[in-house]
Order: sequence, then structure tokens, then C-alpha cells
Amino acid sequence: MKKIVLAVAALLMAATPVLAAGTARSNTGCGLGTVLWGNKADGSTMSQSLQATTNGTFGNQTFGITTGTSECTQPAKIAENERLINFVRANMDDLAKDIAQGRGESLDTFAELLQVPAEQRPAFNAKLQQNFGRVFTSSKVEMAEVIDNAVTVTN
Amino acid sequence: MPDRSGTRQSEVYGAKRPVYLFFALLTAMIVAVGAPCALAEESMPVEAILARATAEAIHRERPWQILLHYKPSGSESPRSLVDDPKFFLAPDGKTNPAAELDATLRGLFQAGATEDDTVRCRFPARAAWLQERLGIPTERLPPVACDTLAREMAAVDPQRTVLVFPAAYLNNPASMFGHTFLRVDSGYQSPLLGYAVNYSAHPPTPNDFLYSFKGILGFYPGYYSLLPYYEKVKEYTSLEHRDIWEYPLNLTPEETRRLALHVWELQGISSDYYFFDENCSFNILFLIEAARPTVNLTDRLPLWVIPSDTVRAVQDAGLVAGALYRPAQATLIRHLAAQVPREAQVTALAVARGEAAPESARDASLSAPEQGRTLELAAEFLQYRYARKELEKEEFNRRFLEILRNRSALGAGAGDALPVVAPTRPDQGHRTGRGEVAVGVRQREFFTELAWRPAYHDLLDPSAGYSEGAQINFLDTSVRVYPRKGQLRLQRLRVLDILSLSPRDLLFKPVSWKVNTGLDRETMADGNERLIIRLNAGGGLAYAIDRLGLVHVMAEADLNLSDRLRDKVDIGVGGSVGFVREVAGIWKVALTLKGFSYPLFEEHTKVQAILAQNVRITTNTSLEVSLTGERTFGYDRFEGKMGWKYFF
Repeated sequence: MKKIVLAVAALLMAATPVLAAGTARSNTGCGLGTVLWGNKADGSTMSQSLQATTNGTFGNQTFGITTGTSECTQPAKIAENERLINFVRANMDDLAKDIAQGRGESLDTFAELLQVPAEQRPAFNAKLQQNFGRVFTSSKVEMAEVIDNAVTVTN
Repeated sequence: MPDRSGTRQSEVYGAKRPVYLFFALLTAMIVAVGAPCALAEESMPVEAILARATAEAIHRERPWQILLHYKPSGSESPRSLVDDPKFFLAPDGKTNPAAELDATLRGLFQAGATEDDTVRCRFPARAAWLQERLGIPTERLPPVACDTLAREMAAVDPQRTVLVFPAAYLNNPASMFGHTFLRVDSGYQSPLLGYAVNYSAHPPTPNDFLYSFKGILGFYPGYYSLLPYYEKVKEYTSLEHRDIWEYPLNLTPEETRRLALHVWELQGISSDYYFFDENCSFNILFLIEAARPTVNLTDRLPLWVIPSDTVRAVQDAGLVAGALYRPAQATLIRHLAAQVPREAQVTALAVARGEAAPESARDASLSAPEQGRTLELAAEFLQYRYARKELEKEEFNRRFLEILRNRSALGAGAGDALPVVAPTRPDQGHRTGRGEVAVGVRQREFFTELAWRPAYHDLLDPSAGYSEGAQINFLDTSVRVYPRKGQLRLQRLRVLDILSLSPRDLLFKPVSWKVNTGLDRETMADGNERLIIRLNAGGGLAYAIDRLGLVHVMAEADLNLSDRLRDKVDIGVGGSVGFVREVAGIWKVALTLKGFSYPLFEEHTKVQAILAQNVRITTNTSLEVSLTGERTFGYDRFEGKMGWKYFF
């Protein structure tokens, strides 16, 4: 019964034109420019409107508590810290932006994961900003280098 | 103990009594220390526990009903809203709470070969409640090692719960309904390190032509997923351009842990996803109830569950301890742009497009903070472009780094952007249902009108808590009475009415659009007003202009169907132009001019002008006055109407 009532409602909503959503382009790397588009559409109005009825996440049905970064080189200068590694890898662009600006949530999170005490944060942020070029050495820089470089310039 | 009161007995055994007592005591101690399980089993056999559970009918108690998602189902026994057979241990568990409880309780006393086979590892929330309710100590149960559960619970470390509400997506009114999910925070300060708990549909084949329909009709399975919050933030703020509201809840760490254990139980369990009722927001409420069973959120299953309404429900239940605003990247971009002169905006855009070097932003004509903000704007806009796949990764990386290098050289205080001012909270806007009582005059005939609209937001409704320029109305129905002529007629039944006016500016160039369908009353060739079935769609442009507000111009097509039309059908093309302006959040005025030509079938033209004003009296009451003039089939018609609108 429920499905019949809904079928009528759905038919009446048929006015919304339907276009295929943008093709999937997942982009998992170990450096800058990592954006997990998944199967999400590319911003066109119509394809976005398709997503509206399901809030769909095409990816994960499982519980993504620990995601592997085993294919990326591991940093040398820190003790094993899976959370830090996963965070930097997934948020490298925003972290770079925050370090360049000297402030931001990603930078605060980075400092917390490195266990930088609160009173040392302003100095930590300032040192990273002043040494931006030594942390992000090139456009091909990867997660392990970023972490190692950050540790080097702030010590 | 045998009765030793008799004299003869005491004479015979008198000397040996203390020895007997000593040995009896020693035996008891040895038994108690050496074989606790055996002793406990004797005093708490499985059958006794099961019998007690049945006798006390604990399957009827609220925590059990919540954990199994049982809902009353007419006069029959309750049904669980979960559809996946893997969720139930009894074959008829979906419809038989007592049988399910019995099977779960039995399962507690068994250790399976793997964690998946062990009830205590698969359903830890149920196990915890049953143990507590029936007073079963853990030593009584067979030892099990739920390694995966323990490891993942330690990683999540549940301490606090936050209700998260991503608001509307720019130029997508349907997303105005929003979405809700939960965030579980650990000991970390940063919210980004929490875990998001999300319920959504998982279509097995993406890009399905019937995607929208299937989502509405329950053809997709819905799953709970758990993932790092930062992934959700990026998805909503950078890919979908939706502002996020975070409502910390006052659940204790113990309650949050119960919630996390129930989420674990729902791992990989599917339920039919229905866009209207059993949707993301509704299913999240079960998790909150599992944390605090005294709270009643899923009690009624209304015909439609709107996410912002569920935020209100959680608020009304006294669970909300605040609200934090997290702007979308597009919002942040607009905010940054507003803080620099227009030339700097042009520079930032050019830098983001690769048409100018980042150094050009370090222009002496700009102050140091303005230079910093210009570069920040360029960086954000470049990310925005990349998310829309307007450039390749290598090029993005190179340009991004160049911009950031230049920004870092300016130093800390250079940008120092002011925080984005938070708009009205979505749960504090007008309620989503609306009723209206109006009086008016049409062609000198007095009428009264009653209208009802179950959802959601009209262009003229007060904007607070909603997107500007976005309208989505469902089942907008009105009935008119003309007392002098003794006429009662259905005036309008708009099944669906969507309008999205998105202003274009230097940075963003969206296309505005509209679509509506339903029954309307139109003047016919004979001058009478008849109901027609209408389907109308259009696209156009909108701009925000200082004194006029939101100005829009659209090209439209109009399809009319009616027995009263000569050819039963009429197709018209035309357009509309108009503006909507809100003053001081209280008074809205909108003027719209439309013109249509129906060149095929029954040829005619229609022009119409509508001036409408809405005054907000309280959050949930408004006064609206409108004047309409039109000429259809050569007949002039004028109407004035005044109504009182009430939101519920």
C-alpha cells in the first residue's frame, strides 16, 4: 500500500528532468590535490538534484574507522601514529592552506595530533608559516615528507 | 542445617559439632573459590533466566523496542522497521519481540566459533541491556574475546554526541530539506577527529535513470556508515557547497557509548530507504533513543519526516546544548570577496584561473591585510574550481602551491579574516507546514479562501533559517467560497512547485530554474474560470541588485490540460521578470510580470502582474496582501487578497 501511494507521488514528481550524473573519478594519492569525488556528480545542477532524494554515498557501506595508508611512504621522524598519517593524507590541501595563512582548523588538528601543547601553538604556527617552502618543497610533495619537514622546522 | 535442639542428639554429637561446622565451612569455601561458575550455574540456570524474562515480559520494555526498532503495526504485534534478516536471531524476529529476546538471551550463553557467530560481539548493546536488566554478572557468561569490537570501540572512544545538519545546497531547492547525521567525539579537542554516523541509501547501480523514483519508493537499501568526520565536512562544504550546523547534544559519555554500541549492531544491516519517511533523519533518531531510552523521538511515524523538523524534535526533547555554524566553501568565498575591493576580486579570480601570477595580488594599492585576503580568496576559489573538475591535478597542485607560497610570505596578521556571520539557525525558522485564512475581492465579487500547504517554504515566507531565493512547495491547496453566488470551489492544488533563484556575480554564475505542476484555475475562452492541469518549467538568470533585491528573468513553457479547452490541450511559451526584496527581515515585497503566448491549439495570450507583500508578525505567523491583474483570452481580471498565514 505504501509503495502504491508513493508511486503516485513519484509519478507526479516526474517533471524533474533526469540526466546521468558525472562519471566517477576517485583520486586517492599521497600528495596534494586529493579529492574524494567518489561517484558524486560534478556540480551540474541536474545531476546534483538527483542526489537529493537519497543523500547517497555510493561508497562506504562498511565502517571506515581505520583506513589504510599502506601505499604511501611512512614518515620517519614520528612514532607510529595512524591517525596523524590518515589525517594529513586526506586533508593535505587544507593543511597547506592553513599553514600558509598561519591559522585554521586543519592546522589546529595537526598540532593536536602531534601533541603540541596549547601554549606552544602560536610559535608552532608561526614557524611553519615562515618555513612554508621548506615544508611543502614542491608540488609533488607527499604526506611523509610534509610530516617530517614540519617536525624538522618546528624543533 | 539439621535441628540439633534435641538433648540426646546434642549429647551424642555435642563434642563433634564444632568439627562438623569447621569442615562444612571449609568445603563451602573450597567450592565457592574453586568452582564459581558451577556454583553460579546452580543458582542461576539459563532456563530460570529465560523464564524470568518471559514472566516479566521484558520484551515489551522500551529499551528492547528501541534496540530492535519495533513500531506498532495496527492491531498486530509490533513490526521492526529493519528489513535485513541478518539483524534477527529468531526466524520471526521481525514481528515477534518475545521470540527475538528469547533467542538473543540464549545466544548470550553461547560462545561461537568466530566473533560474527557470537551474540555478545555482534549485538553488544542488546547484551549490555539484558545483563543489566536481568542482573546477569559477566562471570556467569562464557568468556569471549570480541577483539574487533574492542579495537574499533577504542579507536572511536565515544565521549560526546553531536547532531549535524548540512543545510541547503546552492541552486538545489530539494536539498533545502537538508540532511542529518551524528558525530561521535572522543577525547580529542578537534571536531574533525570525530566519527560521523550516517544513514543513507546505497543504490547498487549508480547513475540509474530512475534514481529519484527509486529513492522515494523504497527500492534502495539504506545502510548506516561510520567514517571520519573530516571526510563528511569536505563532502558537504567543498563538493556540495552546503553550510553545516553542529548541535552538541547533552548525552553523557555512558549514553554516547550505548549509542556507539548500537551503531555497531547496525553495521552492514539494510533497511528499505524511503525518501519521505524512513529516511536519514528518522533513522538517526533511533540511535539517540538507544542512548537515552527515556526520550521519545520516533513515536509517531508521520507521512513525511523533514530533517529540520527532526532537529526541532531533538531540541524539544531537551537534548540540544548549543549550535555551531560551519560555512560552506562557497559561503566563505563570498564572505572573503566582500572584504576586498572589486579590483582585488578580479585579481583573485584571474590568479585562480591562471590568467595572472599570484604576485600580482601583492599590489601596493592594497593594504597588507587586503593582499592577504586576496590571496586567500584566490586559494579558496582555485580549490572550488578543482572540485568542479575544471583543471587537472598537476596544474592545480602547482598553482595552489604558488598562491600559498605568496600568502605565507606575507605573514600571520596579513589576512586575519573576520569570521563569517552565522545566519539564523534552520530549526529557528518558520515551521514547515502552513495554513492560510484569507479574504479578497475578484471582479467585484467577495470571497473567502482557506489554504493548506504541508511543506516547505515559499519565496514570500520569511527567509530566516532558509535559503534566499529558494522555494519548494508540496501539495499547496486552496479552496474558495464566493458567498453571494453560493460557490465553493477548489482554487488550486499545486502538487509540486519549485523555484530556484540563484544570484549571479563575478565569481559564481548559476542558472536559475523553476518547475511546477498541479491544478490551477484559469480563464477560458468563454470567460469562465475552470480548473486545468498545468505543467510549467523555465530557466533564467537572477541578480542581487541593491535596491531591488533579487531580480530575475526567466523563459518559460506552459502546458495546460482541460476538458474545457477546445482541443483539450494548450501549449504556451513566454517568460517572466520580477524582483523579491526583504527589508529588515520583516517585510517582503515581490513584483512579478508574466507574458505567455499560446500559438498552437486554442490560440490566445496571457499577461499577468502580481504584487505581493508579506509582513512577518511572529516566527510562525505572517500577514500577506496581494494584488493581481491579468488579461487572458482578452478578458481582464483583477483581484485583491489579504490573508493571515500560520505555520505549524
